[in-house]
Amino acid sequence: MAEIRLEQVRKAYGGVVAVHGVDLTIRDGEFVVFLGPSGCGKSTTLRMIAGLEEVTSGTIRIGARDVTELEPKDRNIAMVFQNYALYPHKTIYDNLAFGLRMRKMDPAEIDVRVQKAARMLGLEDYLARKPKQLSGGQMQRVALGRALVREPDVFLLDEPLSNLDAKLRVRMREEIARLHQDVGTSMVYVTHDQVEAMTLANRIVIMRDGHVQQIGAPLEVYDRPANLFVAGFIGSPEMNLIEGRVENGLFVAGSLRVALPAGTQASGDVALGIRPEHLALTSEADGVAFTVRVIEQLGAQTLCVGEAGGERLRILVDRVDSWSPGQSIGVRFPAAKLHLFAKSSGQRIETAKP
Amino acid sequence: MSSKTTIYGFLFVGLAVTLALIVAPAVYAVSLSFYQMDSFVGAPKWVGFANYVAVLQAPEFWHALLNGAIYALGSIVFQVALGIGFALVLNEAFPGRNLVRGLSILPYLLPTVVVILTFKWMVDGGIGIVTKAVEAMGLPPINWFESPGAAMASTILVSVWMWTPFVTTCFLAALQTVPQSLYEAARVDGTTAVQRFFHITLPMLKPILTVVVLLRAIWMFNKFDVIWLLTRGGPVGATENLAILSYRHAFNLFDIGGGAAIATISFALLSVAVLIYFWVFPLEDD
Repeated sequence: MAEIRLEQVRKAYGGVVAVHGVDLTIRDGEFVVFLGPSGCGKSTTLRMIAGLEEVTSGTIRIGARDVTELEPKDRNIAMVFQNYALYPHKTIYDNLAFGLRMRKMDPAEIDVRVQKAARMLGLEDYLARKPKQLSGGQMQRVALGRALVREPDVFLLDEPLSNLDAKLRVRMREEIARLHQDVGTSMVYVTHDQVEAMTLANRIVIMRDGHVQQIGAPLEVYDRPANLFVAGFIGSPEMNLIEGRVENGLFVAGSLRVALPAGTQASGDVALGIRPEHLALTSEADGVAFTVRVIEQLGAQTLCVGEAGGERLRILVDRVDSWSPGQSIGVRFPAAKLHLFAKSSGQRIETAKP
Repeated sequence: MSSKTTIYGFLFVGLAVTLALIVAPAVYAVSLSFYQMDSFVGAPKWVGFANYVAVLQAPEFWHALLNGAIYALGSIVFQVALGIGFALVLNEAFPGRNLVRGLSILPYLLPTVVVILTFKWMVDGGIGIVTKAVEAMGLPPINWFESPGAAMASTILVSVWMWTPFVTTCFLAALQTVPQSLYEAARVDGTTAVQRFFHITLPMLKPILTVVVLLRAIWMFNKFDVIWLLTRGGPVGATENLAILSYRHAFNLFDIGGGAAIATISFALLSVAVLIYFWVFPLEDD
C-alpha cells in the first residue's frame, strides 16, 4: 500500500514527445483511470509507472521510494495486460504462482495465496488447465489473479477489458470494482472507454496528445469539463457544442438566442455546450423551435437529432412515442446546465459559481 | 467439369508423379538388394537375404553407422545451439539489423561445392588464411583431414557453417511470433533474462525446435555431398557414413546388391527413429 507520485514525468522518442511533463499524486487506495483517445500517452504513462518504459525526465515515487531507475520487478507493482499475457505453456496454477516462485516464496504460502485468489475470482475448477482452454473472461480473471497473489503496492491495468465482448465487459467491470473494494490497493487503469472511466474511477485523468487535460472525480469532470476536448469526450451521447458570440448576456449563433446565467463574464467568440440530456422540452411559445430530423428509440429514453435556429442539436429525453421526422417541438436551455468555452483557447469560462 | 472430376484429376496427377518418381525407384532399389549384380547391364542373380547377411557381418557397416550417428548428432547439437543464439541476437534491435539478417543466410544459399572449396582453400597447408593465422599465433599446424578425429571435426564444422543459417532463420521466425507482453509480464513477475529464456522463449520455440531437429537429423544422417567432397569418407573410413558406404559398394566395389541393402537398412533405421522421435516428442498444439 502506498502513494504514487509522478513529478514532471516526460517521455520522448527521439524528437517525438509522447508524454509532456505529467504531475500527479495517486493516493493510497485510490482508483485512478487514465482516459483518452489512442495515442494520447495514457498507456505510455502507465508503462513508465510499471518500469517497462524508461522515463526521459522526471521522477516517479512509490511510497517513500524513488523508483524512477528501478526494474519493474523491484517496484512492487503488478500489471494486467490488454491481451492478458498469460504464459501459454503453463497451467493456470503455475501462471498464478510464477511471480511468487520467482521471488522464492515458501511453497506453502504460495499455495495459500493462489487458492485464495482462485476462490475470489471463481477459478478453482480451472487451476489444472492451460490458458488456451479458457474463455476470454476467464483468461482476464487469471490475469487479475496473477496480479492479486503478488499483494503489490499498486495494480496497473492496461486496457484490461478491451478484448472482451460488450456483455462480458460490463460484468468484468463490476468484478474489478468489487476487487478494488475488497483489497483496497491503489489501482491505475488505462482505458479509452469513458463509461469504464466514469463507473470505476475515484478520479479520472483525461489526456490528449501527451498533455493532461483535466484531473477530477467522474462527476466533477462531467459537470465542469475544463475545456472543449473534455466536454466532447466525456458523456454519451456527446455534448452539443455550438459556436457563436456573446452579445449583451445572450449567446447568439445564427438565429439562435440563448440566455446565459446572470453575471456571466464573457464576450466575443465562444462555444456553448449543453448535454443532450439537459435540454428540456417545453411549449413552442416558451422555448426555441426545434425541428425533429432523426429519432432513435433507446427503450427507456428517446434520442432525437434535429435543428434549432439553424444549429444541429441532439436531445435525450424520457421515452416519447409520438414524434415524427419534420415535426416541430419546443426546447429550453436551462441556464444552470450551460457550459461556455472560449473559442480561441478552448478553455472553460465559468458561467455561474456553484 | 464437376468438382468431383477436378478432385480426381488433381489426385491422379499427384499420384502418378509420386509413383513414377518416388515409389517406383524406391521399390526398384529395395528389390536390387535381393540380387547379386556387378553392373546395371549384366543379368542379376537372385540371392535372397545374402546381401543383408554379408553387409551386417562386415565391421565397416557398424563403423559407418556409428560415424553417421556421431556426425549427425554433432552437427545438430551445434547447429541448434548456435542457431538459437544467432536468432536471439538477430531478434534484438540494433543498427543495420536487416543487413546482418540478410548476410547471415548467405552460407545456406551457396552451393555445397563452393562452400567446400572455400573451406579447403582457407585451410590449405601452403596458402590457407587459417593456416597462416595459426602460424602467426605461433601454434602448431592443424591437420584438418589427416587424423580420424580431426577429419570428423572438420566435416561437422563445415556442416555447422552451412546449415546454421537455416536453423537461425527458423528460430528467428518463431521468435517474432512470441508476444512482447509475455516478456513484459515476466519482467514484472521478477524474472532475470536467463529465466525469461527458459520460461518463455524456449517453451515458445519448442514446436519449431521439434521440427527443425527432425529435419536436420534426417538430412545429416543421409548426408553425402559434404563428406564426399571433403574427405571421401577417409582417412581410412573415419568419416564414412552409410550413404558413402552404400555408394562405395554400388559404384566402386561393383556390389550393387550390397549397396542397395545398405541403403534399405539405412532407410528402415531412419523410419524407426522418426517414429520413436514423434512418440517421444509429439507435435501437440499447446
